[in-house]
Amino acid sequence: MDRRILLVTLIALVALGSAFAGGGQEEEAPKELTLLTWNLPHYEEQINGWIADFEEMHPDATIDWVDVKGGEWSTYFQTQLAAGDPPDIIDVQGALWYQYAADGVLLDLTERFAAEPAVKDRFYPDLFEAAANFNGNYYMLPLYTPSTVLFYNKPMFEEAGLPGPPKTMEELVEYSRALTEDERGGFITLNFDWLYWPLFASNGVEILTSDKSAAAFNTPAAVEVLETLTALTDEGAIPAVTWTGRWAEPNGAFGAGQAGMLNAHVTAFNAFSSNSDWANEDTIGVASFPGNYAVPNYHSLGITSTTKYPDLAWDFVKIVTSDKWAQEIVSSLGTLSGNKAADDIALNDPEFQADNPVKVRMFEVERSNMANLTGMTGLAADSRIKDAVYTNLTRAIFGEVSAQKALNDAEKAVNAILAE
Amino acid sequence: MKHKHPRGLIALYLLPSIAVLFLYRWLPVMWNFFLSFQNWKPIGENEWIGLKSYQTIIADPVFWESLENTLIYFFIGTPIAIALALLLGLLVNEPIRGRNFYRTVIFLPYPITPVAIGLIWKWMLNDRVGLVNHILRSLGLIENGIPFLQSFQFALPSVIGTTIWQVVGYFMILVLAGLQTIPTSLNDAALIDGAGTIRRTWSITLPLIKSTLFLCFIIGIINSFTVFDMVYVMTNGGPGHATEFLVTYIYRNAFEFSRLGYSAAMTVVMFIVLLAVTFLSNRLSGGEAGGGRNYE
Repeated sequence: MDRRILLVTLIALVALGSAFAGGGQEEEAPKELTLLTWNLPHYEEQINGWIADFEEMHPDATIDWVDVKGGEWSTYFQTQLAAGDPPDIIDVQGALWYQYAADGVLLDLTERFAAEPAVKDRFYPDLFEAAANFNGNYYMLPLYTPSTVLFYNKPMFEEAGLPGPPKTMEELVEYSRALTEDERGGFITLNFDWLYWPLFASNGVEILTSDKSAAAFNTPAAVEVLETLTALTDEGAIPAVTWTGRWAEPNGAFGAGQAGMLNAHVTAFNAFSSNSDWANEDTIGVASFPGNYAVPNYHSLGITSTTKYPDLAWDFVKIVTSDKWAQEIVSSLGTLSGNKAADDIALNDPEFQADNPVKVRMFEVERSNMANLTGMTGLAADSRIKDAVYTNLTRAIFGEVSAQKALNDAEKAVNAILAE
Repeated sequence: MKHKHPRGLIALYLLPSIAVLFLYRWLPVMWNFFLSFQNWKPIGENEWIGLKSYQTIIADPVFWESLENTLIYFFIGTPIAIALALLLGLLVNEPIRGRNFYRTVIFLPYPITPVAIGLIWKWMLNDRVGLVNHILRSLGLIENGIPFLQSFQFALPSVIGTTIWQVVGYFMILVLAGLQTIPTSLNDAALIDGAGTIRRTWSITLPLIKSTLFLCFIIGIINSFTVFDMVYVMTNGGPGHATEFLVTYIYRNAFEFSRLGYSAAMTVVMFIVLLAVTFLSNRLSGGEAGGGRNYE
């Protein structure tokens, strides 16, 4: 008897719940898009501004913003993809998007750019090709576009009797040794996303052959570079943290005065200057890396191919990369936006020039090297190629194997990847 | 009088747990197994590639290096941790003053999250500002700091040493629990017969806590195949792949290189290796999970 009462009660509750669920008229919900950004919590005000402008243009739509730290971004996005619920618009760093484009995750924007050429013409041509082109089609819009420069510690240079920043690789090596004393080294480079590649490019070493079918870096010049880097690391002229740290440690080391030169992309200035008691416009010099090579470490916006609202997403990315918001990138993030007109306006602003002499110098150097960008494979397997090369280079640098063996092993690994 | 049959009720109460186990364990394991034969695509249908991923594993030098590191952790790190735990357990089992304090202090690292431990030891091992180098320099043992985590020579021992530091307290507690089960009459009888400390430890204590030590071994196996967070924080597998473990390499392929099918194949291989190691350990310890004979 008790069981029957319980059963009847349960059925009644279910029926009641269904009645409420099915009853009444529902209001039409706004169209919701999701924006996933890469480590931009400090840019909240501007991102809310993007969203406000978008919602003013499309009152029936809204953007839900999610920000994830760089180290977790790919894991987060991958799990969203596997769950079948990826965000509509993504901000992604470096060449990671090549893999997504190859897998059909990103919407092909080629026809949209063709229909609205003014959008494509906003950007520096070389940078746009690097940041948006995969296999002849366009998938991304540059959001901000830092590339590498050579920072140097002016007081250390004066103390060591050095005339100025090195203009050749030989001078870089010589100055690194001259700046080394006690526990202080001469040169640090950031090592992720090919940022160290100017060390090889300046000696005529390419990553891949022109048809991208094979590794091209196993050359006598590369062996010489690697042996030099090994010797400098052994002597302490290049601190070991250069090769084992990623972002915080090398920047921190330069900011702490542990080396006289730093090869890094321009956003590193915010990182090391905020943690140092010496870095200011009088003490920090900015120059081109010898040979004028630079590695872009851009952030760009893409639209996922599964979005339900491709036209709305396209409108949103156009707003974000418009002159108005691109100028904010320069003044707030301290990096070029990739939008030529916006960068010009910001850089020619007397107030910006007076308040940010180091940044103005950084941007001058960056813009002068845009035709000399290096460290880009343009392949979907870029991450794996990068890992195969770098892990073998460090084996040589730390004395585990000879430079030649390291390059042989790296070449074998890269060719195996390319053959897949 | 009606007879109640509780079996239906038991099954009903177990159903939610079994459902959760099925959904979050068995189903993913089965899905993973089938994924290992496919090339995973984030958009669209996966491509069936048969044994290709397994063939790639055979030719992948980084896989073998990470397996080697994992087995080094197990075959060297785990016995060291157990030996230390046994020694400490025997010491704090004695009626010495402050033994509860010692037990607490030794056990304290275990509940701390591995990420926090990894960060703490990362700084302690720093070649410029780390405490370990400071002590070594103060004692005059070294002149320049040793880059423990940036050295191919020291990185793996440093990571393994850190995990030993964390887990030895837990093993010690297990050993202590095992020691409490040994009848005191046995030791008393051995004393009367003139047996020394080492003799009694070897002939009485160790055989009777064999199952406890086997349990520590099993936990050690599991730890060596699942140590991810501490490695990720301390070295992220570097320098090179010197501290790459199977689990970190699987993660890297899945989430950095988008090769979920290949990662699935590696997890299947890891599972087989884990089974083999466990089986071997059980056989070497005399079978029956280290139970063996009991002294009455």
